[in-house]
Amino acid sequence: MTTPPQMRDLTQRLLTYEASAGNTSESVESTILRVYEKLRGNLCLLAGVAGFYSLASRALTLARSEAPSLSAVQVAADGNLQGMSAIEPLTNVKTEGVYEAGVTLISRLLGLLLIFLGEALTMNLVRDAWPDAALDDANPQNRRKT
Amino acid sequence: MSTQEKVEINNLPTGVPGLDEIVGGGLPEFSFNIIAGAPGSGKTTLAHQFVFANATPERPALYFTVLGESAIKMLRYQQQYTFFDPAKLRGSIRFVNLSQVVLEKDLGAVLEEITKEVERANPAVVVVDSFRTMVRKPQSDMDLQSFIQRLALFLASWQATTFLIGEYAEDELRDNPIFTVADGLFWLRQTAERNSIVRKLQIIKLRGQDSVPGLHTFRITNAGLQAFSRTFGLTARVRNPVGRRHLSFGVPELDKMLDGGVREGDSLLVAGPSGTGKSVLATQFIAEGVRQGEPGIVAVFEERPQAYAERAASLGLDLETPQKDGKLTILYLRPLDLSVDETMHSILDAVQKIGAKRLVIDSLAGFEMALSPGFRADFRESLYRMIFALTGIGVTIISTVEVDESFTEFPFSTYSISFLCDDIIRLRYVSIDGQLRKIMVVIKMRGGNHAKDIREYEITSKGVVLMDQRLTGYQGLISGLPVRSSRSAQEERSSHDSEIENQT
Repeated sequence: MTTPPQMRDLTQRLLTYEASAGNTSESVESTILRVYEKLRGNLCLLAGVAGFYSLASRALTLARSEAPSLSAVQVAADGNLQGMSAIEPLTNVKTEGVYEAGVTLISRLLGLLLIFLGEALTMNLVRDAWPDAALDDANPQNRRKT
Repeated sequence: MSTQEKVEINNLPTGVPGLDEIVGGGLPEFSFNIIAGAPGSGKTTLAHQFVFANATPERPALYFTVLGESAIKMLRYQQQYTFFDPAKLRGSIRFVNLSQVVLEKDLGAVLEEITKEVERANPAVVVVDSFRTMVRKPQSDMDLQSFIQRLALFLASWQATTFLIGEYAEDELRDNPIFTVADGLFWLRQTAERNSIVRKLQIIKLRGQDSVPGLHTFRITNAGLQAFSRTFGLTARVRNPVGRRHLSFGVPELDKMLDGGVREGDSLLVAGPSGTGKSVLATQFIAEGVRQGEPGIVAVFEERPQAYAERAASLGLDLETPQKDGKLTILYLRPLDLSVDETMHSILDAVQKIGAKRLVIDSLAGFEMALSPGFRADFRESLYRMIFALTGIGVTIISTVEVDESFTEFPFSTYSISFLCDDIIRLRYVSIDGQLRKIMVVIKMRGGNHAKDIREYEITSKGVVLMDQRLTGYQGLISGLPVRSSRSAQEERSSHDSEIENQT
């Protein structure tokens, strides 16, 4: 089972949006964490802390099969993501590797929402978290059609 | 206080087809309501329907979930219903999970959290699902009562219409303070009756509304809950003034026996054993109505509409064209676990849709068999309500019922429902001269001067055809085993006619 392409695409757009909103000197892991935290805030409100923790843990487990560097990352009981900053020094991967690991984790989390809630409700959640981002057509296949 | 000074209570749509009628027009705005019932009884779905029907971006709905069904799973399943509009989840409906605060803190903190969210969202609708789990921790009576009181006061002050959902048992009704505080109490039940599930809804109380008392059937489909009022949704309808016309059966000799035909708005029962032409008579009645420009409904339970129309065609009656023209509807009502109320709903919809003036129910035995076993016990009572409701809006009903042929009795029906009917026509077989022949007699015609004759008839390619003269020269015709009278037929007729002359 791999990450759904449309969720990877959506994750990359969210990261791009957050990166452009932050400082130019901001690290990749900070951008990833900001995206994660926004999702966490909205999902905790919807599903509760325990509900979010379950989803995030599952997403992390799935993501690790694609990005082994995520083995250094943990989800705390309150849903906080720990260890992202430790990826680079511990595994000696380059920035692109951190970015890729982050994309994998976030897109896995969004992929779980897609499985459980479907595209319409998943996109509603994402739009609630990023009301100003242009996310109207997150599906790259649809974009290609147009 | 004069009527002008009375506060006007707005009614909100419940979002549940049929429920607005039951609650007296809608749910009172700013009311504090409980939805109670066992797991799987439809509590959450009912609340969702109300939420989706009323939430707007300006006055959204706040849906608090607590312990129990996870919000994600709840949304996963609820979005399968047709009323679920995903677009409303952006701005109009907001889900807030209170599990953490419920688990870790006391009721004061829970109230504080609810207060914070309500003040932030300014909602028109607030749902707590499930309230039972929210107060599951042991509390002193005063704590719980105080919490409920403060919650109810706060939500009403913030102009929110509230639903608290809980799995309560009926024996808690007396002691639980929540039921005292609540303005409305909706109780959902589902019981197993042999192999069927019967769902019932009761409005135990609803302040400020003239709700319909009693247990109402409801069904859960992919459209959510649909409720069927015991009054069949007719309390809000203007009752048609029932005319005093006589409607033709399409059988001239029978019309004469009925003093010109069936009186408009009557309920007529055609009773007889299998093969005596009950359905044929009913078909002729409906076809004659269509011919005279009176739309009709045929509710069939024992054969499919196509077969019914084909059988009518064999009698020279065209039921296909009026169906295409919207003048006739043949309803085939035989799903599993059918309730009388659901059947009524289907029939009433059809009546309204084409403005039907005539209705045939063919047959009552098939109708009963199509019902869930749990509803069969109420068949007579439901039938009474159904007939009363339909004739009240000016529909003339012909019901057929099969009776066992007996040579010792002459029953009108096996259901003891003859009291429900204004008129009864009884068909039966008789053994005469080595032939099994058919006779017909009008047993009763409320308010009408019907013929007392026993008439022989045949079923031909033109339908039911009555013989020219009443059957004379026999005694004990209605026993089915008549004996020849010693008097000649001519003498019998003369004697009868002179009796009439003497009376007049």
